[in-house]
Parts: sequence; structure tokens; C-alpha cells
Amino acid sequence: MADDFACETIDPGDPTGAKAKAIFPGDYTTRLFKYSPVDYWNLIAAKHVLEHTERIFFGVRELNEGGWCYTGRPIEWYIKEGVVASFPDNMVFAVYLNPNMRVYECRAEYVADDDPHCPNDWQTRYRGLTWKSTS
Amino acid sequence: MEKHFLADMTEGTPTFKSEPWYNPYGDCITYKMADEAVVADRVDEWLTVYNSAVDNRPIGFQMKGVHAIITKFGVDGLAVSWKSNAQGVKSISVATLLLAAYEQGPRTMSRRKAYAGAMCPSDKTIPADDLQAA
Repeated sequence: MADDFACETIDPGDPTGAKAKAIFPGDYTTRLFKYSPVDYWNLIAAKHVLEHTERIFFGVRELNEGGWCYTGRPIEWYIKEGVVASFPDNMVFAVYLNPNMRVYECRAEYVADDDPHCPNDWQTRYRGLTWKSTS
Repeated sequence: MEKHFLADMTEGTPTFKSEPWYNPYGDCITYKMADEAVVADRVDEWLTVYNSAVDNRPIGFQMKGVHAIITKFGVDGLAVSWKSNAQGVKSISVATLLLAAYEQGPRTMSRRKAYAGAMCPSDKTIPADDLQAA
């Protein structure tokens, strides 16, 4: 099994302070590498989003306390084996982390009507917006 | 193809596997039928349908709040779908978990369609011992 991989990202508890570490758990990335290769390759897009975040949401689950959703827009992503495509304008790439900052889900979502950096229905599915980029 | 940032940490030959698995970091069960990127279509707080980024057909789902479902129904409450082997290892049907999740929300046409779509390819089981959240 691969070791955990840490990458620096905005600390959702203190967005203007020091960076936090987001962890890609080794057993999670190994599972994707072995059995879900396209998802494994899209971890590159996930890392990009964690390093170039546009929005951070808190309270991502109704039934599990805590957790974060980081969104952003990679330039490219893998849509099937060996096929790289431009990331669509009508989507954002969402990276979900649990309260321990472990990455557990990375995927595209359609954008909201009111903000092209937010997933649709963000107002009702999350408890709130923690941080937004100013650029 | 660019070098993956985890390339030095992984080895072996990848082979896509269409099988539900429990992700302890997200307390969720993930199932994909095709090795394609997904676009999420959130149905409710328990179910998200995965549509293919290639042609938008449904290719899987994510079931969330697995422990909340098990806590509510109890493992015994899901016993109808248990399988047990000679070593006493028990498995829980993914379809039964989905059905239990469906019962938690309003009985709308859109939910019914989404859950039915997820249940069709879900005649699978997950070892009960795997369902330990991280």
C-alpha cells in the first residue's frame, strides 16, 4: 500500500493563516490506482484544486459531522483511459475532505447559476461557504 | 501523459474493477460500472448518482451516511440480506442499504427513479467487517 501523500492547501479553520495539510490516504489512492485508473489520474486535478482553490464549503454531510468541499477548475482532466480533455466551462471540480483533512472524493459537478465556482444547489446542500478566492 | 505525483508510490498494473467498495474516510459506498470520469448528480443526502463525463449515461453511484443507516436499522435489521460463509464472515447487500436509505426521505418520483437506477446494478455485497469508518 502506498504511503499517505500530503499537499498544502488553505486551512479552512484559518483561511488567512498558515497553510494546512490535505492528506491523500495511501489506501484510498492505492485502491484508485489498482481498480479505478481514471479516478487515479484525476487525483492530479484534485491536487490542482487543493493548491488553486476557488471556494471552500463546510458541513458537507447531513449525517456526518464536519467535512469540507474545495472547488476549483483544472485546465484538463481525464475522461477515460488515456483520453485527456479540457475541463468543461459548465462544471467545477470538487474535492471532498473529512474533518481530519483526508481526501475521500474527487469529481466534477455542474456549476450553480449564481456562481461559476460553486456546485449547483450549494446553498442547500452545504451548511455554508467558508472561503472564496478574491482573484 | 504527464507523470503522476504518486507515480513513485504506486506499483503494479491497474485493472478496472466494477465492484462496490466502502470508503472509510467518507463513510460512503462507491460503485462505478465504467472506468470514466464522473459528473455528480446529487439526489439527496444519501445518494449521489454518477453520470459519465463521456456521454452522460449513469455509470454508478455513491451512497453516503452508511453508518447512520446501520445505526438506525441495526445490523440485525439488515439480516435479511446477510450472507455468511463458513468462517462466519457476514456481508450486507448494497441494494438493501439503498432501500433503507430510500425509506428515509420523501417518496417523490425523482427519488424513486434515482434509487431504482442505482439498485439495478447493485446485486452486490460488502463484507460487514469492511464497514468501519476512519
